[in-house]
Amino acid sequence: MDTNQTPAERELAQLLTESLNIDWVQPENIDPEAALFGSDLGLDSIDALELALAVSKRYGFQLRSDNPDNKRIFGSLRALSAHIEQHRAP
Amino acid sequence: MTQHWSKRKEGGGHFAIWLIRTIGLKLGRPFARLCLYPITLYFFLRRPYERCVSYAFLERALGRPANAWQVMRHIHRFAGTLLDRVFLLADRFKAFDVKVDGLDQLTGRLQPDRGLLLLGAHVGSFEVLRVLAQQPDAPRVCVVLDTQKTPALTELLHALNPEIARNVIDASRPSTDIVLAMNEALQSGALATLLADRAREHETTVVVDFMGAPAAFPTAPFLLGSLLKVPVVFCLGMYRGGNRYDLYFEAFADRLDLPRRMRQAELQAVVQRYAARLEHHVRQDPYNWFNWHDFWNPDATRGGTPARAGDGVDDTAVTRSAA
Repeated sequence: MDTNQTPAERELAQLLTESLNIDWVQPENIDPEAALFGSDLGLDSIDALELALAVSKRYGFQLRSDNPDNKRIFGSLRALSAHIEQHRAP
Repeated sequence: MTQHWSKRKEGGGHFAIWLIRTIGLKLGRPFARLCLYPITLYFFLRRPYERCVSYAFLERALGRPANAWQVMRHIHRFAGTLLDRVFLLADRFKAFDVKVDGLDQLTGRLQPDRGLLLLGAHVGSFEVLRVLAQQPDAPRVCVVLDTQKTPALTELLHALNPEIARNVIDASRPSTDIVLAMNEALQSGALATLLADRAREHETTVVVDFMGAPAAFPTAPFLLGSLLKVPVVFCLGMYRGGNRYDLYFEAFADRLDLPRRMRQAELQAVVQRYAARLEHHVRQDPYNWFNWHDFWNPDATRGGTPARAGDGVDDTAVTRSAA
């Protein structure tokens, strides 16, 4: 399956599957536009936190609880990756 | 968040809040407590579902059928803790005789840059925890509270103690925000509190033995503790009648280590351990049990009869949201 992931999205997908112990989907098969939570991937809020912790460790910045855009940011691999690219430590 | 509350200021329940504050804080606790008798009787007569829940629960806890006096005592205790909330939130601690047991279990695990997760239950009064605020260098306490489901309480909290209100994590926000907010609170050395006996709708649960029958408990509080790598302390504020409370702290785990999607048995064992500690305290004083729904059969309807001890737990009907 070709999901048109950008290199940054591919890297994030790898981090996601590794940190959340996801073995039923290959990172390259995660649709960057599909919903991350409450859908096929079956992720929940605990996963969101685990992912947020992994992101802050890898990319050196924190996803904040008071960001009004969180719903959108955590909406898809693409949105999260775009947010990370915008804010990651240089 | 603060802005959210200020927007709600003119919302419903304003009169009720004013009434509680006036009667409670102006006329005093002894007078307000007299009002609990007619309130208890009203509740007993007009709330058949909760009455049935109480009969069934007390029978399970006491091992014999409960009588009307015991059920009214149960309701009276509950009403008493609700009233005391006003005084505890207004920092009127002198009205109470609070015995604290195991405080060293808590303080010994606190570090400035790493908070601690306090696991409570809908048992007794968690607000009694507020007495800790009297201590010098008292840690900040963050509570997770659904401001949409409990607008009256939220308003009361805001009116009585804006300082605490600022530390409320709003459970009506998206769940990602809640867990991130808890993480931020813990990283700043705060105590984060969760009541771990009730799962919200669609929340993952695990079934363990509780008071002689299988009951579902949420897994999220335990997984959070594991993920955030903080010590977990069990905490109950048991109401003993009059102005007496016993506040218990028990070390639950210095570090929970529950890898996700693996070792379901370990998670089950941890939740079972929580249920066992809860059962220990609830059996000692069943009148502190304040889950006013059929705990062993959460999908049972308001109109249905709660399962009695020993009954099957399959007489389900329409889903009823938790009180």
